[in-house]
Amino acid sequence: MRELDYDGAPAPVREDLKEAHRFLLDHVCAPGTWWTGRQRVAIAAESRRASRCGLCQARKESLSPGAITGRHHADGELREDVVDAIHRIRTDPARLSKTWFEGVIAGGLDVGPYVEMVGVTTIVAGLDYFARSLGIEPFALPEPLPGEPSRYHPAGAKPEGAWVPMIAPEDATGPEADLYGDAEVVPNIVRALSLVPPEVRALRRAADTHYVPVAQIPDPSVRRALDRPQMELVAARVSALNECFY
Amino acid sequence: MELSVVTGRAESDGGVPHGARLIAFTNAVLGSDDGAIARERTALRAELSPDAFVDVCALIAAFSVVDRVADATGIPLDPMLHAMSGDVREELRLGRFRSAANTPGAR
Repeated sequence: MRELDYDGAPAPVREDLKEAHRFLLDHVCAPGTWWTGRQRVAIAAESRRASRCGLCQARKESLSPGAITGRHHADGELREDVVDAIHRIRTDPARLSKTWFEGVIAGGLDVGPYVEMVGVTTIVAGLDYFARSLGIEPFALPEPLPGEPSRYHPAGAKPEGAWVPMIAPEDATGPEADLYGDAEVVPNIVRALSLVPPEVRALRRAADTHYVPVAQIPDPSVRRALDRPQMELVAARVSALNECFY
Repeated sequence: MELSVVTGRAESDGGVPHGARLIAFTNAVLGSDDGAIARERTALRAELSPDAFVDVCALIAAFSVVDRVADATGIPLDPMLHAMSGDVREELRLGRFRSAANTPGAR
């Protein structure tokens, strides 16, 4: 079992959170649907590197990110357009647009690999923000596992009003029957990565433990050590700072 | 909850216990001043139980993921949420965010 270092934390971390962190890092280093384990770890490393990237900082401070040209400090494992997309998602998500997305896809990155890249990039963002909040070092990224991507394309994925195809709850059958659990209403945020079903399972695991399980979100009596208004205040403030409409 | 605390227009607790401290810590973590994070962490830790403090860290992590997934996939706001949240969206002026363009009729 993977051992993670929480040394220096000013408070003990719940066991279910530790298990989720181990699960997420195991997920990151395993062969995925469109990327190998080595490529997924490279995506993870790039997500982390983006938070210290000088070009991203300059773009963030610019009125228009496209006005600042240059190269990211990447390690060469991934194509430059992929690196750029990872850095944009990690450091400047509020200014992503459909035009930007269409440019990424027109540049040669298929939608399936894009969705998986979003999954890995954001998982690492979450792990890093947890460590930053708690005051501990970011978790060491895992060694990649060998193996080939599955190249699995879920039959139920179709246009649903987002930039990427998604699986509607009524189409989550067969291998995807478990995808949305027992929630009566499946919000788009849970469907968002469903073109790559394992990324939905990872997102749900992260959200279930770090927030509340999706089926329990509508119930205002569900809480943790924080009461629900405190939880929603923190959540809303994060989203306001990230300028996220959703 | 007073919505003005969410937008940073108020420095009160906004009707939420320890609200001002929660906002200040969240601001610090999403900012770039490591010293401010350390100060706000100490201050928040002094006011909350250990488990509640870890909950705050977990929530910041969770919504750092969720916001990026939403913005990178262009998902629209769910119709039911859209219908229910008009007043809140107007008060928080959420329509000014670029990602509002992903939800028809949100701007």
